[in-house]
Amino acid sequence: MSYADLILRKTPAWLKFALLGGLFLFLLAFPRIYPKSYAMGVMCRILMYTILAGSLNVINGYSGQFNIGHAGFYCVGAYCEAILATRFGITFWIALPLSGIAAACVGLLVSLPTLRLKGIYLAIVTLGSSEIIRLLFLNGNDFTGGPIGIKNIPSPYIGSFKISKSVHFYYIFLFLAAIFFFLTYRIIKSRVGRAWVSIREDELAAKSLGVETSRYKASNFMYGAFWAGIAGAAFAPYFKFISSDMFTLDEGFNILSMVIIGGQGTLIGPIVGSIIVNFLTEFLRPISQYRLVVYALLIIVMMWIRPQGLVGASNSILASGRIRFRGRKKSAGETK
Amino acid sequence: MDYYLSQLINGICQGSIYALMAIGYSVVVGVVGLVTFTHGEVIMLGAFASYFAFQIFGNNLFLGIVASFAASAFIGIFVYKVCYERFFDAPRHISLICTIGVSMLLKNLTQIFIGANNFPLLEIIPNRFFGWGTVGVTLVQIIVIVTVVSLSLLLFLFFNKTRWGVMLRAVSQDKKAAALMGINVKLTTLAGNCIGCGLGGIAGMLLAIYYQTLIATMGGSAGMKAFSASVLGGLTDVPSAALGGLCLGVIENLGITVSSASFRDIFAFIFLLLVLLFKPEGFARKKGVRP
Repeated sequence: MSYADLILRKTPAWLKFALLGGLFLFLLAFPRIYPKSYAMGVMCRILMYTILAGSLNVINGYSGQFNIGHAGFYCVGAYCEAILATRFGITFWIALPLSGIAAACVGLLVSLPTLRLKGIYLAIVTLGSSEIIRLLFLNGNDFTGGPIGIKNIPSPYIGSFKISKSVHFYYIFLFLAAIFFFLTYRIIKSRVGRAWVSIREDELAAKSLGVETSRYKASNFMYGAFWAGIAGAAFAPYFKFISSDMFTLDEGFNILSMVIIGGQGTLIGPIVGSIIVNFLTEFLRPISQYRLVVYALLIIVMMWIRPQGLVGASNSILASGRIRFRGRKKSAGETK
Repeated sequence: MDYYLSQLINGICQGSIYALMAIGYSVVVGVVGLVTFTHGEVIMLGAFASYFAFQIFGNNLFLGIVASFAASAFIGIFVYKVCYERFFDAPRHISLICTIGVSMLLKNLTQIFIGANNFPLLEIIPNRFFGWGTVGVTLVQIIVIVTVVSLSLLLFLFFNKTRWGVMLRAVSQDKKAAALMGINVKLTTLAGNCIGCGLGGIAGMLLAIYYQTLIATMGGSAGMKAFSASVLGGLTDVPSAALGGLCLGVIENLGITVSSASFRDIFAFIFLLLVLLFKPEGFARKKGVRP
């Protein structure tokens, strides 16, 4: 039980909804309060990475699978939107869900051969598949733009209103993030979410209680990949240009570090992680080559002192054995 | 036909380098009992150490081997202290994430302090060609294969004939029982980790000599190939890991005959997937430490 959970449990329902509504209204009004385009750019990045880290957290945190190649699904979504928009002239609002579905299909393809595998094997397969996806887009000469990437991705329209400024995209990302967190919250509280968590806690016990673990693991992977694809599809027209070197393994590790720093297996964790990492990116802009060094040090320090993340629960399976098996014999951690 | 034959020879040569990487990887995983992501970066740093040794002392292959082994073994101590030492009793994924962090750290520090560009490594071994017609072997390939085979024999003798080797095998089979027999488990684990990392470093040097270039980002694909090859041995069995490396090299080089060379890394991945689909536990006979 983390402090965040305890506080949330103590607060009455109306207060929670009031706080949540207030936060949402504040975020809606934020461009009015602080209308700098620099701030809008940072906010767009934070919101986009919130979706990415949140979707990775659904896979890593809730069902306990270990995906470290999330950039691959993000890459599929971005390229899918860019190709549909530039080559076929399909409008953004149709391309967005299509890209999500494409990423989910790739997620299914990645997860199918790995359903029997655990931990490290799955991690390596996701790492490899992320790099393979990138290589395929890099080497698909005419269709995917090859090493040059895809330029001049058209802006989406609502009626005749052109969405081109970062303020407009701020609202799109906010809208998507709100949908993502609402849906994820509902799913985690539902039967499906409980099945995912039961797989994380003890796969054998879950199986013996009648949870079809392989089906739920695959659906979990697809759900996470779907939202990574959505984030990528929204990113492509926002940035107007994509190339395969935006989706390297470092990008995947970047998303992973947000989840780990914030706290796996919590809804708030990825938001916190995304805010911290993106602010760090802004602060470290003068010495930007040290950016990934700082992330790496943060990951190591987090694993040393707080493996469950900043807002993670101390009794979660992700906490270190010393805390989790308090009062029991110490070697219990080895059974995992 | 000649083309395929020469690709086969290339494959065996490259496969022997992969085999050395995989041997190092399975020694590390077997002795430490935890899976690592730092092996690619260890390989890369070994290659850089040999590069600087060649710059300073001239083209002396033996000194290059010593330098890459020493540097990688030193990195092995660092990795042990940061990622393994305090996490033997904790859930496995904690040390796993820690190794991801260390691998990011090492790669980016190398990019900053040594450079992110390609470093050419020319004429370490004179460019000679033995053979008939278009099929044949170069001197580099002979030296690579001889180095790998002799190192493997040395390792085999070390594991089977020396006291330290017996201790290492005991620790990799059962840490508790080894401790009861009076073995200093921590020191032995550290030594095993250093030996595995050092072998990886030598493999990095051979890779750099073979391709005549090295770059700070070479660790990613190298580490993945080491992993893919050692999956064949269930990550802990050394001889099957070497066999896996050899297979991987041959499959890669025969694979690029039917497609373009830019798809080279994809074949390693396909090999990994096939092994995981049909033989996920590998060909290891003993029930060793399962990661």
